[in-house]
Amino acid sequence: MHSTGYCQAVEKAGGIEVPRRARYIRTIVLELERIQSHLLWLGIAAHIIGFDTVLMQAWRIREPVMWLCEKITGNRKLYGINVVGGVRRDIPKAMHPELMEVLGRIERETKAVLDAVVTDTTLLARLANVGILPNKDASAYSLLGPTARGSGVAIDIRVDHPYAAYGEVETNVMVETSEDIWARTVVRIKETLDSIRIIRDCLAMMPGGPLQAKITEPIPPGRIGQSSVEAPRGETHHYVITGEDNRPYRWKARAPTFQNLQGVPIMVLGETIADVPIALGSIDPCFSCTERLETVDVRSGEVKVYTKADLFRLCKERWSKR
Amino acid sequence: MFRAKFKEAVICFSNPRVTLPYPFGPGAELPEGFRGKITVDQTRCIACGGCANVCPSRLIRFYDEGERTRMEFILDRCTYCGRCAEVCPEQAITMTLEFENSTDHKEDLYIEQELYMATCARCGRCFETENAIDKIPVRRHREGRNFVGPSMPHGGPRPRQRE
Ligand code: SF4
Ligand code: SF4
Repeated sequence: MHSTGYCQAVEKAGGIEVPRRARYIRTIVLELERIQSHLLWLGIAAHIIGFDTVLMQAWRIREPVMWLCEKITGNRKLYGINVVGGVRRDIPKAMHPELMEVLGRIERETKAVLDAVVTDTTLLARLANVGILPNKDASAYSLLGPTARGSGVAIDIRVDHPYAAYGEVETNVMVETSEDIWARTVVRIKETLDSIRIIRDCLAMMPGGPLQAKITEPIPPGRIGQSSVEAPRGETHHYVITGEDNRPYRWKARAPTFQNLQGVPIMVLGETIADVPIALGSIDPCFSCTERLETVDVRSGEVKVYTKADLFRLCKERWSKR
Repeated sequence: MFRAKFKEAVICFSNPRVTLPYPFGPGAELPEGFRGKITVDQTRCIACGGCANVCPSRLIRFYDEGERTRMEFILDRCTYCGRCAEVCPEQAITMTLEFENSTDHKEDLYIEQELYMATCARCGRCFETENAIDKIPVRRHREGRNFVGPSMPHGGPRPRQRE
């Protein structure tokens, strides 16, 4: 999903047109990623509240998706399917029946688990009316992805700024309005089922054609490209300035967790300590994405992490020198 | 409540154990096209530097030492992306199905090869890629002591050097 973001940014900077088939394959892989990410989250969320039955079942359902990804791309994770200008591997017709079969199986099993747990009062006691994130706070803090959608904010990059094949395939924004952790859970489960439908639609509509654009000219330096991708956790932005030799001069990625983390203090306000882990877990945090600026001095090996105050001071110094 | 628990129990009992007894028994079967550890076939390599140029981890290091070219593959940094195998014009690099690569000896993940070069009879540049992005920026093949497709040494980043 980050690779799609990066490639799209470079393609925009270089004015490269991606073939339609490649855009469909990107969409399918993105949706497979969403399915496995949401199922993984469901398992972890259940594990946080001590409901390991759902952990085991969610991960059991998830495993065939990983195998499928391995078959399509060559790896369970870190698919490496994207290159600038298209995709590296095809999803041939021969693979469609298996894809369909696996999708059908996940859909059936997810629904069965869902059907079993919706009326489970122990689960609802831990999730419903817990970790309330009011709608106005969700928009005031610019929260993203399922976290915001669970509070009734209908934002989804796939629909708001379509990329890959999302402009052509019907995509639904899943919104829940009960503002609690259960709402975020339901949003994710609904999205999982919707992703299955999107993949089916993509397979049915998959056009022929090349997988990669013919790139005859090097990408000129100094161009700027920006692209946004709806990751399972929320929107991801990539910003690229191209440099010499077809290499990036500057590249900045923004992942959604830092943004979503701002909503956690509101969620835990007035809750019991035992609800803090699941409130934090409900945003599907990825802490490696929230690290702030760190510099490494290559010569001395010294590592320095800059705080907000440091950055402020440096800015002031820099500007007062001018 | 009890209905929910009952349904959950049915799901658990109707789905038997799915994990495999790995590593005591065979693991899951790997699909064709799985990207495992790379192998390099020295007899095919023409030392064109293509792989070093595309490797995102910059782990393939190239040294043009007069009549020989020395190549180092520092595979503990490999992300198993397979770009090197894709770009290699002679199919010298292949991705194997080997995934059990963890080791406590870094040397296990190190390949070094030295190739004796003849003057390239083919061209001034060793190979032309179809894709303009993959084009090798360094003019090369037996032209002085060029440092081709440079890379990061162990232990820390270093700015990319050009000839
Ligand atoms: S791309 Fe292939 S032929 Fe060229 S240097 Fe690498 S291994 Fe050798
Ligand atoms: S697989 Fe990727 S990371 Fe590993 S050596 Fe090849 S290009 Fe480099």
